[in-house]
Formats: sequence, structure tokens, C-alpha cells
Amino acid sequence: MTAMAKQVEDFLDTSAPFDKLDSEQKLQLVKHADLIYVTADNVGELHQGAPSLFLIQSGQFSVQDSDAPLRHLSEGDYFGYSSIMEKRPFPLTVSVDSPGLVYCFDASVIEPLFNDTAIRNFFDGLRNNALQNHAISDTNSMWLYKGLSGVIEKSPVSVEENTSISAAAQLMTEQKVSSLLVTKEDKLIGIVTDRDLRSRVVAKSLDTALSVDHIMTSNPAQIMGNRTLFDALALMTERNIHHLPVIDHQSLVPLGMVTASDIIRHQRGNVLFIIGELSKAENLYELTRLSWQLPHYFSAHAKKAGDYDIAGKILSQATDIMTRKLIGFFQQDNGKAPMMFSWLVYGSQAREDQTMGSDQDNGLLLANRPTESQADYFAAMAEYVCNGLAKCGIKLCDGNIMASNPKLRLSLDEAVEEAKQWVNAPTKDAIMHFNIFLDVRCAAGDVSLFKQLQKRRAPLMQQNMFLAALARHSNEISVPLSMFQKFIYEKAKNDKRKEKDVIDLKTRAVALINNIARIYALADGILLPNTLARLDALSSSSQLSKRDAANLRDIWLFLNRLRWRHQLENKVTDNRVSVSMLSSIEKHQLKAAFKAIDRTNQAMVMKFSGGVS
Amino acid sequence: MMKKFIHACSSFLFKRNKFRRYLRDRRLCDTTFVALDLELTSLDADKSQITSMGYVVGRAGRIALSSSGYHIIKTNGDLGQSPVIHGLTQDILAQGEDIAEALTAISSLFKENILLFHNARLDLMALNSAFKQCQLPQIEIMYIDTLQLALYQLNKQHQVLPSNSATLTVCRQRLDLPAFPAHNALDDALATIQLFFAQLNELGITQGDGLETLLHTKAVGRYQLG
Repeated sequence: MTAMAKQVEDFLDTSAPFDKLDSEQKLQLVKHADLIYVTADNVGELHQGAPSLFLIQSGQFSVQDSDAPLRHLSEGDYFGYSSIMEKRPFPLTVSVDSPGLVYCFDASVIEPLFNDTAIRNFFDGLRNNALQNHAISDTNSMWLYKGLSGVIEKSPVSVEENTSISAAAQLMTEQKVSSLLVTKEDKLIGIVTDRDLRSRVVAKSLDTALSVDHIMTSNPAQIMGNRTLFDALALMTERNIHHLPVIDHQSLVPLGMVTASDIIRHQRGNVLFIIGELSKAENLYELTRLSWQLPHYFSAHAKKAGDYDIAGKILSQATDIMTRKLIGFFQQDNGKAPMMFSWLVYGSQAREDQTMGSDQDNGLLLANRPTESQADYFAAMAEYVCNGLAKCGIKLCDGNIMASNPKLRLSLDEAVEEAKQWVNAPTKDAIMHFNIFLDVRCAAGDVSLFKQLQKRRAPLMQQNMFLAALARHSNEISVPLSMFQKFIYEKAKNDKRKEKDVIDLKTRAVALINNIARIYALADGILLPNTLARLDALSSSSQLSKRDAANLRDIWLFLNRLRWRHQLENKVTDNRVSVSMLSSIEKHQLKAAFKAIDRTNQAMVMKFSGGVS
Repeated sequence: MMKKFIHACSSFLFKRNKFRRYLRDRRLCDTTFVALDLELTSLDADKSQITSMGYVVGRAGRIALSSSGYHIIKTNGDLGQSPVIHGLTQDILAQGEDIAEALTAISSLFKENILLFHNARLDLMALNSAFKQCQLPQIEIMYIDTLQLALYQLNKQHQVLPSNSATLTVCRQRLDLPAFPAHNALDDALATIQLFFAQLNELGITQGDGLETLLHTKAVGRYQLG
């Protein structure tokens, strides 16, 4: 009789991908498993018997199990899978850095499990040392990009063409629908709506015993079920119709109907809705009232990973709209601005990856050096907008990177001069100070003015010395992994909250990707501030490979999801994510993500600073 | 009288030497260890009954999970605090195995192998009285007590031992072994054998050494069951 100890089951339950096995499968696995306390003395035990898959429960080991270089492994890491997957033995060398428990699963019981795609993908991912991408593929799940087949709730209400008008009207009443599909041999040939019954039957006193094909709209606009809600909306707006039949894209059989009210329902339950509302605000009071709903809106409606992907963007757009609204309110009371200006936003708002805790970072760019009275006007405007944003819930900046700070209201010439100073003396302190200004976007005012600034600044920032200094600066932060690939946790900020397993994903990981994207983008002369857009826009001559760029993009999205989920679920505004709250697979992904960031960062430092750090 | 005493003494010494020789000739890597844990109805060995037994077999640091076993024993007596601690209720216990059958089943593991207990005294006394009650044939077992091994190590470091410093959970923590759900016989047995292998490593005893190297810790013993 084999009994499974609770601790064995518990451990398997926290070890992806085996956490997904049912209890019978787990028992089978355990029947063919040994647990070895591996020490320097008995490390040879790992080589005994048939080829095996090894899973570390405790201890630290340096392992070489394939053509790949030596790896430092610890709790939760696997080794030995390459031999099983490639069905050829690799020599296994293990040295024990600190003794511990290692599960050893017989290859004969592991091989059948590899037929399971999820399990196979997991180990494939480990082998390719890449982040598992499958969770990222649903990026487009925001409401407008929902597939129509997922939107239609009812099966189609339809009649054959020879049905009488009265029978058709009865069916519509029974089914509580306002439109009816007319078919011939199961194919859609027409549509009848409430309006047709009114204008083509009642108004003309038509005989209701006639067949419906007399009053239907023939060859109606229709859409394939594999298209999106957005496509449907576009078509309905274009044709000015409220009912759109959806048909199967292969059999052409009707699947159902999308109506204008369906679209409104989906829109209301969506984070994008708040943007439309914000732009309708007519005074500061309305604006602040709506803005304070943003956090509630996000926590109520951002549920899917795809929502988290666009949440930062929506929040940034909302902040942009608030800014424009506030500038508008100010100008209503104080008159038009005395010269052209651009309202610039920096940091997370520029990159469009704001989270709930992001504070405002902004500044003003003026066409010319202002006279005293002009300067007063802009000072008052900046004061009003910054305080207004604070009332809307966008915190004032601790570092005083705000337009209300006179040092951040520069004329175009002064701004270019400032950039020259950065480039000429990129000391450590200077970089700390101006790094945030390198991610910049014009959120309000005159865009052409901002474009002039960018055009004059871009060549300066492409200089090698400057990029080398930035790269060296980026190297000062490292991913929170120890030499043995264990997570390094933040030091507790205060004693009130237990923080023994938190990692600040923003400063420890997202910021690094932002740095990498920024430096490659500057080198490539790309003016976009958004990290994903930068990675996407890198030219083929960029030194960052397409594959690495795509990988960084996936990691960025993954980290972003984790921190948004953390903020919404825990109702906090920080990025200090608790590792123990992550699922087993997420822990693995996070570790893989950190490793990949570290690799790319090292490569960047090598490329731009010639390895001098 | 004197003669009898001398005889007893020499017999004792002879036996002890034989035991010592036996341990010297036996290397760790050739020895199979069986961690055994009993859950009892009370801590009073005279009155307590065995409610469940768990065991795990290992050699040279390798624990074969497929060889582990768990027996729930049919018990009628007063359970006292036991259901709260071990999660075994009267209903579960009423469907359990007969104690004599269970003991016969596992006693085959007692020969040749060395038993491991964390706090051997209580479990051995309970086993002994169960053997007697069931009138099972006598058997001499050899055992190692991981509690004694821990105390040996602790006494080297402390003048006065902190309280609770030798519980299974605390001993494991000290050697960086993962947390485990305590108070289930099988889990405790698995936890004990892991602790034992970790203790060997801590003591610097290798697989090539003879069992004799453990004698000075006073953790090795023999016991007559039945």
C-alpha cells in the first residue's frame, strides 16, 4: 500500500505544472518517486537508477544537465528534463552548495505526462529559458475586440420566407425581440424589424396574412461571427442601423443578432466608458467627481488580463483629458494664453503606464522667453492645473517635477540648452535627476512646439558618450534574484504590515525594462515615450534583436498585470507585490522574467558602455 | 550470589561488545532505515492505545515514497484529546484495522533494518504493550532516536537547553528543512527520516562510515518488544 503524505501532496500542489494534476495522477507520480536528502556525500544518488526528472524542495545546487551553461538552482526549480524531452542522455553534474531535499520522478511516469500540452509547454518554456507566452495571447480581450460569437447571447430568432406577417409578429412578441431573421433553406435572405411592421404594414394597412418576404429588408447588412464587436459597431454606424445579423463565417448559417443596446451594455461595463464621461465634464466640480470614480471603475470592471494591459493607458488618457479640461477652465476665466505653449508630461504618464499610485510629473514648454506679465499668466495656469489634478486624485509630485515649479517652465531655446548640459555632463547625480525627463509627451497645448524641441534634441541624445552613461546608470539596479535564483525580498518599510515576501515590481523590474527600451530607442532616434511602442518601433538596424524586443514586451505586460491586479485586489497604490500570493506558475514566470531582464540589461550595458560599469 | 552477579555483568558486557561489533561492521550506505511514528490516545504509555501508524523507508539519503505506509487502527477506548490533535475521529477509527494485523504487517520491517523515532521512549513502550496484548512473538529491534541526536548536538552548544528546542518541528527548522503538517503519523515519519539524514550531514558522518560512529551520541539503542 502506498500512502501519500500530506506534505508531499502539499508540495506538489504548489509546484507548477503538477499542481494541475488530479489526485489519482498525483498518486501515480508519487508511486514512482523518491525523495532524496542530497548532501555533498551522497550526491551520487542522483545518478542511480533510471533517468529522472528532479524537483528541488529545499537546498541550493549548481547543476549542469544539458548543453546549456551551469545553473544555480534552489527551491521550486527543476532539472534533468532535457534528457527526458530530447530522449538522449545528457551527463548530469550536480554540486551541493547547501544540502536539501530533491524529488526524483522516474522518467517512465513523466513521459506520458508530457502528452499534456500545458505540461509540455511548461518544460519547453524552461528549456528555452523563455517566459511562457500563452497567458499573454489574450491581450486583445478588451471589450471592443471581443469576438462577436462571444457577445451574442440568444440563439437566432428566425422564420422561413413563406411565414405570414402575423405569425412572424407573434413570434417576435413571444421571444421579446425587436427584429427577426428571414431565412431560405437556412441561409439568411432578409430581416424584419419592429419599424418595418410599423411603416410597411400598419401604416399601409397591409394584409397580415401575406408572407414576410413582402415586408423584409432583402440582403441586409450582415457580419461574420469571427469578427469583433468593434467591426460590428463600425458597420452599424456606417449604415445607420440598429440590428445587425451575425452569420457563421463558414456555413453562412445565422448565429444571432447584435443590437445597439448590446453594444451599449458592453460599453458600460468597461473601463473605456469613463473616458467619454470625463470629456463631458463642464466644470472643476464635475471633473473631480468623475475622476474620483476612476479607482472604483477599475476595481469593478478590470477583471481580465487584457483589461490590465490597457488600464495604464486609460488612466494616462484620463489624466490627459483632465489636464486639457483644466487648461480649458483656466482659459475661460483668464483669457487665452499670451503665446504658444506645450503642456508636457513626463515619466509614467508620458509612457502611458500610470497606476493608481503614480503622481503627476509635468512641465511647460513656452515658444519664447516670457515677459513678466506673461510669466505670471503661466505661473497661475500651472498652479491651477497642478492643484486641479491633485483634486482629481493625481497626487502632487514629491520631487516637485511639476509645471508649478518655475524651473520647469522653460522656453524652447532654454530647453534645448538644458539638454546640451545633460549630454555634456552625464554624471550619476545628473542622470538621476534628468532620467525622468527622457520619457516625455505633449498632453495639451501646441504639439508643433513640442515637436520642434524633440527634433532639436534627438541628435544630441544619440551621442555615444551619453548613451554609455545612461547604460551604466541602468546597471546600478539589478533584478531581485540571488545567485541561486532565489527571490530577494524588499526590506520591511514599516512594522505594521508583514512584508517578508514582497518585491517592488516597479523599481526592481518594470523600471529596468523602461530603461532598456529608452536607451535603445534614443540610440535609434525614436521619439515615442511609451515602452511597448518603443520596443515595437525599433528598426531592423537596432542592436536589440526582434526576439529580445518581443520577449521584453511580453514580460512588461506580465509584470504590469501583476502590479495592477495587486493594486486592485488589495486596494493599495504601491507596487509591492507579495510573492506568496502568486500562483505557482506565476512564480516561475516571474523568475524567468527577472532572468531575461537581467540578461538583456547586461547585454545593453556591454553594447553601449563597452562593458565598463 | 556473587557468581550470579559476575555472570550477569559479563553477559551484559559480552552482549554490549557484540552490539558494538555489529555496529562497527555495518556501514550506513548498506543500512535501511525505517522511520516509524505512532499516534496514541494519551501520553500515558500504560493506558494509551495506538490509533494510527505511519512509516517511511530510506537508505543513503534516498526515501522511496512508494514504500511508505499508513495504518489506521480500530480503537474503542477513550480518545481524549487525540481527535483534536490527529484529526482521527471515532468514526474513522471504528473502520480501522485490527492492531494485531497491522503490527504483524509492519513487524517484517523491523528485522535487519534500523528503526527511527523522534522521541523513541514513548512509542517503544506503546509498541511493547501492544505486542504483549496481542501476544505476538518477541522481537528485538535496533533503533535510533533523532530526539537524542538533536539533544547531543544542542548540548554541545548550550549550557541550558531552551524549552521546546528539540521538537520535531524546531529540529527541522534548525536544519533548514521545509515546514510540514505535524501530527499525522505518516507525515511525522517522513519528517523524521528527513531530519535523520540532515542530522547525519550535520554530524559529518558519511555513507562510508560504520554505524558505530553514532554510538557516542547515545541515540542508538536496542529494545525487546513483546
